[in-house]
Amino acid sequence: MNKLLLTGIIIIGILTLAAVFAPFISPYDPNQINEGSMLMPPSRAHLFGTDSLGRDLFSRMAYGARISLTIGLLAVGISTVVGIFFGSVAGYFGSWADSLIMRFVDIMLCFPTFFLILSVVAILEPSIYNIMIIIGLTNWMGVARLIRAEILSLKEREFIQAEVALGASHPRIIFYHLIPNAVGPVIVSAVLGIAGAILLESGLSFLGLGVQPPTASWGNILIEAKSTLGVAWWITIFPGMAIFVTILGFNFLGEGLKKKIG
Amino acid sequence: MDLLEIRDLNVNFKLGNQEFTAVNGVDLDIKEHETLVLAGQSGSGKTITCLSVTRILPASARIGSGSIKFKGEDLLKLNEDGLRRIRGKEIAYIFQEPVAYLNPVFSVGSQIAEAIMLHQNKPEKEALREAEKLMGLVRIKEPHQRLAAYPHNLSGGMNQRVMIAMALACRPKLLIADEPTTSLDVTTEAEILKLLSELKKTLGFSLLFITHSLSVAHRIADRIAVMYQGKIVEQGSRDEIFGAPEHFHTKELIAAYEKIGKI
Repeated sequence: MNKLLLTGIIIIGILTLAAVFAPFISPYDPNQINEGSMLMPPSRAHLFGTDSLGRDLFSRMAYGARISLTIGLLAVGISTVVGIFFGSVAGYFGSWADSLIMRFVDIMLCFPTFFLILSVVAILEPSIYNIMIIIGLTNWMGVARLIRAEILSLKEREFIQAEVALGASHPRIIFYHLIPNAVGPVIVSAVLGIAGAILLESGLSFLGLGVQPPTASWGNILIEAKSTLGVAWWITIFPGMAIFVTILGFNFLGEGLKKKIG
Repeated sequence: MDLLEIRDLNVNFKLGNQEFTAVNGVDLDIKEHETLVLAGQSGSGKTITCLSVTRILPASARIGSGSIKFKGEDLLKLNEDGLRRIRGKEIAYIFQEPVAYLNPVFSVGSQIAEAIMLHQNKPEKEALREAEKLMGLVRIKEPHQRLAAYPHNLSGGMNQRVMIAMALACRPKLLIADEPTTSLDVTTEAEILKLLSELKKTLGFSLLFITHSLSVAHRIADRIAVMYQGKIVEQGSRDEIFGAPEHFHTKELIAAYEKIGKI
């Protein structure tokens, strides 16, 4: 196992454990307002300090990890499924289906994703589920291109001809024989995509169009941090570091996997 | 009525704006329980003729005209769905490079089981049990352990046996073997040829065997058809072809075989 992969697994492993066991590792209720302990610096009682409403930052970040990881995983799950579907259909059937789907991909790629998401969120409600779906549906084009290219070369391989000769149907050949042979690079891009989705969610939440308060997410903790940056550095530093380390962890994991299987 | 009757088959390839004729007016008959060897040099159209039977041709190939009657039904008039019922169930193929024709990400057991399930409505467990039996039938030793093996774990001869097991999974009436022993060494080749003729006797299918080697043809053929530049130039029983070859290409092939025999 290479070092990148190992480092990635350790970072993501710790984060996942923190997210799963958030209720057990948080010393306080993340939404409990405490007027007596506003803007307390990191101490033994409050590991990462408290925010302007006296809420424990460590607890809020542990619960925020749940939100960030869930959004990252599910958004990428949606974009991977959609991308695999369109990419494999385009690659396998070719001709007009290919032209139609790939031109649609080109059109989707023309939009600056972030602003597209901003406008969609402005129309719909900015809830966690909407964010996941929107991020998922605006990020499948890369996967589609990747899988199309794989399928284009795989479908000419002899074992596919043998499968046709045995009487297998098109869906069976695509979903049972081609896709399992093509997922290697897709897994890599999905892991790298999780990092992108988490960053996107943080950005949206920072602009107030993502996860809505009082639910904690790393992005919306940072909004509050902005106004107190001069007096309480810890509210900015810790969520910022969390985002940074998570992105780094997923990138390590993705690059490590690329060396291993891509 | 013969099992397979090919009449005036023409297949063309389109490359850019040019058309090339790969198969030019081929007539071919295969009777039940018969082994017909289609012999000829590379590029003579043997493979394309065979792939035309169930239309598994490359995308650039077009069947121009002709008829291919299987049990009296013209396969060229069938649509994709109709052909799918024939492929694997009535007419099955084995090919030259067995490893390339097996899916690298699945175990050989599950691939044989899949061949069974494609045409028979059976649960996977039962199909796997049957796959094990089929592996025994094609003389794979310790079939139970080998079920979980992957194509890259097995030798070329073993993989060809797996291909044969997959092809015979639904007891087809016609087995089309496209140079199945060309990539194997002579000992394995002899084993596979022996296995094929034994299976033919026990299961009772007809065999259309493509080869460029007349030594192979001599060993297994009932009848031989010689192809040259897209046409069948000579056709007859094995003894006729070897006893009194008429076309110069047949004579060349026999001369090549006898030369090797002398060494």
